[in-house]
Amino acid sequence: MPNKVIGRSIWVFHLNSGSCNGCDIETLDVLTPYHDAERFGVKLVVSPRHADVVLFTGPITIESLPKVIRALKAMPRPRYIVALGSCAIGGNIWHASYSVVGGVPKLLEILKDEGVNVDGVFYVPGCPIRPESIIYAIALIKGIAKKKVKMKVKKAEP
Amino acid sequence: MSFSDIVERIKGVRGVTEVVTSRSALFITATADALKPLAMEIYQIMGGFFRTCIGSDERSINNCFAIYYIFGLDDRGLNIVVKVYADSKKPELPSISDIVPASDWCEMEARDLFGIEFTGRASYRLILPHGWPNGVHPLRKDYSYDSRPVTRAVSERLTLVDTISTVPIGPYHPALHEPEYFELYIEGERVIDVKYRGFHVHRGIEKLGESKLTYQQVNFIAERICGICGFEHSTCYAQVVESAAGIEVPERAKFIRSIVLEIERIHSHLLWVGVVAHLLGYDAGFMHTWRIREHVMTLAELLTGSRKMYGLNLIGGVRRDIDLSKKEKILEVLDTISKEYIELASLMVSIPQVRMRLKGSGVLYKEDARKLSVVGPVARASGLRRDVRKDLPYAAYRYASFNVPVYDDGDNFSRLMVRLDEIKESISIVKQLLDQMPPGPIKVEEFIVPEGVVAISAVEAPRGEDVHFIITGHGRPFRWRVRAPTYQNIPALKHMLKDQPLADAPLTIASIDPCFSCTDRVLVIDSSGSKRTLKLGWGLG
Repeated sequence: MPNKVIGRSIWVFHLNSGSCNGCDIETLDVLTPYHDAERFGVKLVVSPRHADVVLFTGPITIESLPKVIRALKAMPRPRYIVALGSCAIGGNIWHASYSVVGGVPKLLEILKDEGVNVDGVFYVPGCPIRPESIIYAIALIKGIAKKKVKMKVKKAEP
Repeated sequence: MSFSDIVERIKGVRGVTEVVTSRSALFITATADALKPLAMEIYQIMGGFFRTCIGSDERSINNCFAIYYIFGLDDRGLNIVVKVYADSKKPELPSISDIVPASDWCEMEARDLFGIEFTGRASYRLILPHGWPNGVHPLRKDYSYDSRPVTRAVSERLTLVDTISTVPIGPYHPALHEPEYFELYIEGERVIDVKYRGFHVHRGIEKLGESKLTYQQVNFIAERICGICGFEHSTCYAQVVESAAGIEVPERAKFIRSIVLEIERIHSHLLWVGVVAHLLGYDAGFMHTWRIREHVMTLAELLTGSRKMYGLNLIGGVRRDIDLSKKEKILEVLDTISKEYIELASLMVSIPQVRMRLKGSGVLYKEDARKLSVVGPVARASGLRRDVRKDLPYAAYRYASFNVPVYDDGDNFSRLMVRLDEIKESISIVKQLLDQMPPGPIKVEEFIVPEGVVAISAVEAPRGEDVHFIITGHGRPFRWRVRAPTYQNIPALKHMLKDQPLADAPLTIASIDPCFSCTDRVLVIDSSGSKRTLKLGWGLG
């Protein structure tokens, strides 16, 4: 059995940092009767102070960055981030745009400078994400499913 | 007033230098002095609506900045475009926001992004982040899309007045699903004023296209303006390029576009109904509408291959056909939806608590609606019969017969009823179009887009009229501007929230079905190949 990251029910806070709404409505969709993520103990909470996990959607825009940092600071430890969708993962097509900072990896660098610790990050790819993939992420966090891919960095021969 | 009368009257205004007529639009070039009389003539006397205004950096062509004002005479299906030049060294134009209140935002947008100043009005920063240096205008051609003068904006504090209580809503708030900030000023239980700071979702899509994308690729980025009504944006973009290039789209492609547009409207309205039920504290309604909506999502996946972001449109047609087996499946699903939906809708409006919360709250009177040129269900709930599908028919809507629901009260209940009725109409439109679908190709393979052509296209999105404007360039648009429906509707919130109880505020904000990601997009694409990076020497943190 793979390790559980969070054993208890996961309380999530939804943080939209500049998303087009595609991932947001699919996130909301997961909580409604058809996909019903509440059967895994997932509950959408209204304040980051109550949350175990923050669901990130969208690229991080310059305007929303200070607000995002404040919301993350308000979260209790352990503090987990789930990056939903291509935009949150790497900034998608807007990654180099003049008003966008980038995705969650860029945010983590900034958070490090600010002294805000993040205990773990999960990435859910897709544009937009499918509800099934969100449920899979939940299963990974809860230790129900096993991770199928491994990360391996290969360096080119000089 | 006949068409020639309109042309004569416009020619009679002093300062009009050129009038060009085309099939569905009137292109006027005028001097800056003629702007106010023209606005008065078109907006006040002829009773036109204001669509938007568009700044453009044409220094590489004629050494000037330009602004295009788009007015629409909806009852005649006519667009009137007024072009005014501004000096390249010191761009300055008279503001028309005193005559046309709806032009407030787009003038400020042109000021932020192009540095065009407007005289005779108060100026403020609308789009760019707090801390962005003055004098840096990202949509000018000499600004590179990837240069960031600031990367660490500071959180600004909006005016907190001591004498009045202030209630901040946002940027992260349970009633809002997107980062936007409203500040409500309260006296007792009543809202006396409201301040809005949006544009957290400004991603600079336009500028990206400027140096990266081709005509066909922009279709896909246009879809990503909004995750809910993305297909409307990509259809509107495809149509605007098609009209600029004079491409005749095959009939079958038009039918497919209309069918998918209506399916998207059904899912979007159901989504909204669910959210409103949730805000009313009627969570059973929320869960049930989203359960019904799930069928529509499956249908979208069947037709397009994706639940959202269909990627269906190309310039010249669509990428997927609807065959017979899909048609049967669509009809089957639509029957299930309409049965379940009608039951739910009639139950929902019969609940006394729901009626009492919605009736009489958030009223937008007809004259205010007209003054602000609001669009979509907000306009139709305030007694304005505005629907692009009827006024400027596009795609295959001329083959379907449908009603445009109009309610006169202008309150939240009317806005709910308009949307509930529209779902029924949409279901009927899809059925009608499926029956009449002609055989044939679904795409034009070869076409050439000429340079320097100006075109406008409008599509009725679930939230209202969506306008795309284009000046074609070499291989990609020279200037592409999108006017999302919410852009036109948010200023109306000031009127709706005034003198209302605080408890109704989140509901009223939701009642315009705000889609901030559309509004904040600010898309402009331009080409011209100038990719000099601005040297930003000053120290900005």
